[in-house]
Amino acid sequence: MKRAAVPAFALSVLYGCAWHQQSALNPGGPQAAKIDTLWWSFFWLLGVIFIIVMTVLLLTLTGRRANMEREALEVTHKASPQTESQTRRIVTGATIITILILFVLIVASVGTGKAIADLGFKKNPLTIQVTGNQWWWEIQYINGDASQTLVTANEMHIPVGRPVQILGQSQDVIHSFWVPNLHGKRDLIPSRTTNEWIEADQPGAYRGQCAEFCGLQHAHMALWVIAEPEDRFDAWMRAQLQPAASPSTQETIRGQQVFLNNACVFCHQIRGTTAGGQNAPDLTHFGSRRGIAANTVPNTKGNLAGWIVDPQSMKPGNHMATIAVNSTDLQPLVDYLESLK
Amino acid sequence: MTATQDFTPQIPNQAEEVEQLHRSWRHPRGVLGWLSYTTHQAIGTRYIITAFIMLLTGGAEALLMRTQLARPNNGFLSPDRYNEIFTTHGTTMMFLFAVPMMEGMAIYLVPLMCGTRNVAFPRLNAFGYWMFLFGVLFLYWGVFTNAAPDVGWFAYPPLSGPQFTPGKRTDYWAQMITFTEVSALCVATEIIATIFKMRAPGMSLNRMPLYVWSLLIQSFMVIFAMPAVVIASSYLLSDRTVATQFVNPAEGGDPILYQHVFWFFGHPEVYIIFIPALGFVSAIVVAHARREIFGYTAMVLAQIANGFIAFGLWVHHMFATGLPQIGEAYFTASSMMIAITSGVQIFCWLATLWTGRPRLTTALHFIYGFLVIFVVGGLTGVVLASVPLDWQVHDTYFVVAHFHYVLIGGALFPLFGAFYHWFPKITGRMMDEKIGRLNFWVLFIGFNLTFFPMHIQGLMGMPRRVYTYPAEMGWGPLNFIETIGAYIIGIGGILFIANVVSSHRSGRIAGNNPWDADSLEWATASPPENYNFEYLPVATSRYPLWVDRSERAFVTGLRNDRREALVTTLMDAEPHHRYVFPASSIWPFITAIAVTIGFAGSVFNPWYIVWGSVLSGLALVGWFWPRGDSEAES
Amino acid sequence: MTEFRTIDVSGLPSYDVSSQSPLWWGQLMITFIEGTMFGILIAAYFYTRLRMDVWPPPGDQYPHLLLPSLALVPLILSCAGSYWASESAKKNSRLGMIAGLLLNLVLAVIALAMRIVEWHSLNFNWKADIQGSYVWAFLGLHTFDYIADLVFTAVLLVLVLIGRYGPKQRLGVHVDSVVWYFLVLIWIPIYVTIYWAPVFAGSQQ
Repeated sequence: MKRAAVPAFALSVLYGCAWHQQSALNPGGPQAAKIDTLWWSFFWLLGVIFIIVMTVLLLTLTGRRANMEREALEVTHKASPQTESQTRRIVTGATIITILILFVLIVASVGTGKAIADLGFKKNPLTIQVTGNQWWWEIQYINGDASQTLVTANEMHIPVGRPVQILGQSQDVIHSFWVPNLHGKRDLIPSRTTNEWIEADQPGAYRGQCAEFCGLQHAHMALWVIAEPEDRFDAWMRAQLQPAASPSTQETIRGQQVFLNNACVFCHQIRGTTAGGQNAPDLTHFGSRRGIAANTVPNTKGNLAGWIVDPQSMKPGNHMATIAVNSTDLQPLVDYLESLK
Repeated sequence: MTATQDFTPQIPNQAEEVEQLHRSWRHPRGVLGWLSYTTHQAIGTRYIITAFIMLLTGGAEALLMRTQLARPNNGFLSPDRYNEIFTTHGTTMMFLFAVPMMEGMAIYLVPLMCGTRNVAFPRLNAFGYWMFLFGVLFLYWGVFTNAAPDVGWFAYPPLSGPQFTPGKRTDYWAQMITFTEVSALCVATEIIATIFKMRAPGMSLNRMPLYVWSLLIQSFMVIFAMPAVVIASSYLLSDRTVATQFVNPAEGGDPILYQHVFWFFGHPEVYIIFIPALGFVSAIVVAHARREIFGYTAMVLAQIANGFIAFGLWVHHMFATGLPQIGEAYFTASSMMIAITSGVQIFCWLATLWTGRPRLTTALHFIYGFLVIFVVGGLTGVVLASVPLDWQVHDTYFVVAHFHYVLIGGALFPLFGAFYHWFPKITGRMMDEKIGRLNFWVLFIGFNLTFFPMHIQGLMGMPRRVYTYPAEMGWGPLNFIETIGAYIIGIGGILFIANVVSSHRSGRIAGNNPWDADSLEWATASPPENYNFEYLPVATSRYPLWVDRSERAFVTGLRNDRREALVTTLMDAEPHHRYVFPASSIWPFITAIAVTIGFAGSVFNPWYIVWGSVLSGLALVGWFWPRGDSEAES
Repeated sequence: MTEFRTIDVSGLPSYDVSSQSPLWWGQLMITFIEGTMFGILIAAYFYTRLRMDVWPPPGDQYPHLLLPSLALVPLILSCAGSYWASESAKKNSRLGMIAGLLLNLVLAVIALAMRIVEWHSLNFNWKADIQGSYVWAFLGLHTFDYIADLVFTAVLLVLVLIGRYGPKQRLGVHVDSVVWYFLVLIWIPIYVTIYWAPVFAGSQQ
C-alpha cells in the first residue's frame, strides 16, 4: 500500500539524516537528546494514529457496508438505528482515546520541558553572551574578572560536560540562536535578554544558523560551536585572551600597516593594535576561526582575498564596506589576517 | 431516485409574477451599470475569480522560489528578489487568495443555502469587493514598481520598522492589510446578519446546513480577530509614517507586543481559512455519501469549540521567544485541544462515509485527499504544540511543511472539491469527471512530493526563508525533489483551468440538482436567476430536498415589483417582516474609490487620511440619501 | 395544481424598526469590531506600562483630570437624546426624532469641544514616547469615530427636518443610537486609561 509505505519511507530517511550535521535528531548534548527522545515518542504514537485513521479511510471505500440496510438508506438517506448506535459507540470511543492520547502527550511534553529547564542549574556554569547583528554573531564570554572577558565572533568554544548559559541579545533586528545538535532555538530580541542553557556531552563541531528571518543575508548567518575537553578549552581560552600576535615576517608587517591605514579600523578591532572598531567582528584571532563572513565560506586565503576585494558579490547586501585595496597590498593583508591565530 | 427534481411549485399567474421578479432584479446596463451590481451571485463570482487569479499569482511566485532552491548556491534569484517573492507569496496566499476566496464562496452560497435572495447588505457587499480589489491592485502596484514588501508575511519589527526597512515597501504591505481587513469585516458583518435574520422559514438554528454554521462561526472569528491585525499593521504604519513609538525598542515600544497582537489575529486567521473549508467537506460528504451527516450536533459543537479555542493558542507561534514555563504548559494544552475538536469532525465524516453510499466523484476524491493530508497536518500540529519540539522545528521547513499540509490540505483540497461540487450550480454545466480525477491525482501526488520531504529537511536543520544553502548541508536532493513536485502541482493547476474552460463551454447541462443533494441551493435553476428563487422555500427539515414532496412548502405574498425577501427570527426562523433590498447602486464603488484615496495616499502623506475621510463621508451621504423609491410608509 | 403548502406573508409589514432588523445586527457587529479594537489597545497600554520602570515616561506631565471628567456629563446625557430619538423613530414621531437628535448633537458637540480644549494640556505628542503614542491613538481613533457618527446623526437630522424620511431612515435613527451608546460606553474605559492610569498605575522611582 502506498499510504502505509509513507511512514516507513519517512522513518528510513529520518534515521538516515540523523547522522547529519545540524540535525535536530543527532543530539550532541542532553538538551537535544531529551528533545530527540520526545520526538521519537511523538513520532511513533502519532504514526500509529495515522495508520489507524488511514485504514478506516480506506475501509470506507470497500464493500464493508454489506450489512447495512441499503434500501432504507436510499429512501431516507439515513442509516438504520442499529448502525447509527453502533457507529456512535465507535466515534465516542475514538474521541475518548484521542483525549487520553493527547493527555499523555501533554504530560510527556511538559515533563521534557521541565527536565530541560532543570539541566541548567548545575554547578560551575559558563556564561556566554551572544549578540545578533545583521548578519553575524558577537560572542562574549562573561567573567567577573574583566581581564578574563573574551569577545570573539561567529565561533564559540565550549568545554564538554559543562553547562553553558547563553544570554541572547540583539543589536538590530530579531535573530534566533539555534544549534540543533545541542538545543532548540532561542530568539535574540532587541531590548530584551533571553536565556538558554546548552551543554555538549561529546566533543565535536556543531553548526548553527540564524533561525528568525533577519533581512537580506539571513541565509548566511551561521556559527560554529566547538565542544572540546576541558583542558583543550582552557588552552583555547588562554590563547584567545592574548592580544593579537605581532607580525613577524616582512609580508605580515606590511599587511598590518595596510589594515591599520585603511577604513578597516573603523569597524574591526584587533586587540594589541590601534584598530578598535566595535561595529564588526573582532579580528584579534581571526586566523584561528573556521569561516569568513559568519561562516559563509571556509576561512582560506583565497576566500579571504575574494571577500576583501568584493564583499558584495559573496554576500550581497552585507554591511562590510568595500575598500579599494590595491593588488600589491592584498596579499600582505590576507597573510597578516591569516597569521592572527 | 427520490422525487427531488422539480422543486418549484406551480402557482396561478406564476408566469406574470416571475416576469415581474425578473424586471426588478435585472442588472443595470453599461459600464457604470456593471460597476453598480449588487447581487450576491455577481459579487461572489467576482471575489472567486479575483481570488483565483491571486492563487495563480501566488503559485507562480512559489515556482520561482522552488526554482531558486532546486540546488545549493543557486543564482537564479538574488537575495532581495527572493525575499520579496516569499513575502509576496505568503501575503498573497493568506490575504488576497485564501480569505477572499472563502468569502466569495460564502457570498455566493450562503443566501442560496439559507433560501433567500441576497445577502442582508448588498451595497456593503459590493463595497467590500471593491476594497478587496483595490487592495490587490495596491500591493501589486508596489510589486511592479520594484517596491514589493520583503520582510515576511508577518513583518516582525524592528526589521519591518523605519530604521531597517526604509522606503515604501512595508507601507504598501501594511496598508494592503487595511484594505483586505475592511473587505473581510464587511463580508463577516453581512454574512452574520444574513444567517441570523434571513434564513428560510423553518430553518431553525438546528436545521442549518453545516456549511452555513461554519460561515457563521468563521464570520464571528473575523469580527474578533481582524481588529488585532488592524492594530498590528497600524502600529507599523504609524511608526513608519508619523513617527509613533509603538514597536520601537529604543522608546519603550516592544517588538514582542507586536508579535502577540499579530498572532492573536494570525492564529485565528488560519481557522478563518479552513473552517469554511470544513463546511465544504460536510456539504460534499453529505451529498456524495448520500446520507445525513453523522453526529450533526457534535459537528456543530466541535466547530464552535474550534472557534473559541483558536483565540487561546496564539502564543505557540512565539515559543522561541522564551516565555515563563507555566504559560508554555497552558499554551501546549490549549493547542493540543484543537486536535480533539478536529478529531471529532474527522471521525464524524469517516462515520458518514462508512455508513453511507459514497459515490466516488471528483469532488469526493478531493475530500479523501483532504482527509489524508489534513490528518498529517493535524498530527504535525500536535508536534508543534509541544514546546520542546517546537524549539527545534520552529521556523524550519518542518513548519513550512506543516502549514502547507494544513492550509493546502485543509483548505485548498476541499476548495477544489467545492469547485467540482458547485460548478454545475454556478455555471449550469457539469465539469468533466475524467479530467477531474486526473486533476486530483496530479495535485495529490505533486503536493505530497513537494511538501512531505520538507518535514525531514526541517529536522535536518534547514531554516525557512533562506534564499540559498551550502552544498555541504546535504539538503540538495530533497530540495530538488520538492521543486519537481511544485511543477507537478503547476500542471495540476493547468489541468483544472483547462477543465473549467472546456466544461464551461461544452460541459453536460447540469439541471437543478445533478448530485441529488440535500440543501436549498439545489432547489433552484443552475445558474440561479438574480432573485435565486421564484418562491422562497420553507425548510421543513435539516435536509429540505430529501423530504417527501408532500411535505414541502413555499412562501408566497412577497412583492415582486421590488427586491423583497423575508426576515425571520433568530432561533426558530419564524417569518417576522418583509425586507426590501436596496436597488443596484454606483455609490459603493464611488465610496471605495474615496476610501482608497485616503488609504493609498496616507502612505505618502498622512494628511490624506483627512482628505480621504471627507471624501468618504460625502460618498456615504450619497450612498444613504433616500431615492424616493420604495420608501413610502404603508 | 398547488400541491405544495404555502405560507402567505403578504400581511407582514415591509419593515421593522427594532432589533429584528438585519441592519441592527450589522450595527451590533460593528460595535463588536470597534470594541475589540479598543480592548486590545487598552490591554496593550497596560502591557507596555508593565514593562516600564517609570510611568508616565520622563517628561510627560500627568494629564489634567477636571475637564475630561466634567466632559463626561454632557457625553452621558447625550445618550438620553439618542434614546429619545430612537424611541420616537419606533413610534414614527417626527417631533420626537428632531428633538432627540438635536439634543444628542448639541450635547455631543459640547463634550467634543471640552475634549479638544483638554488636548492642549497634554504636553507630549505621539512622537514623544510610548505613552504619547497610545494616548494619541486612543484620542485619535475615538474622536474619529465620534465625529463620523456626529456627521451621520446630523445627516439623519437633516433628512427628518426636510421630511425626506421613511422606514429606512427611521431604522437609521434607531441603529444610530446603538452606535452612540457604544461610543459613549467605550469612552469610559478609555477615559480611565488615559487620565487615571498614570495616577493609579504610575510610578516615579
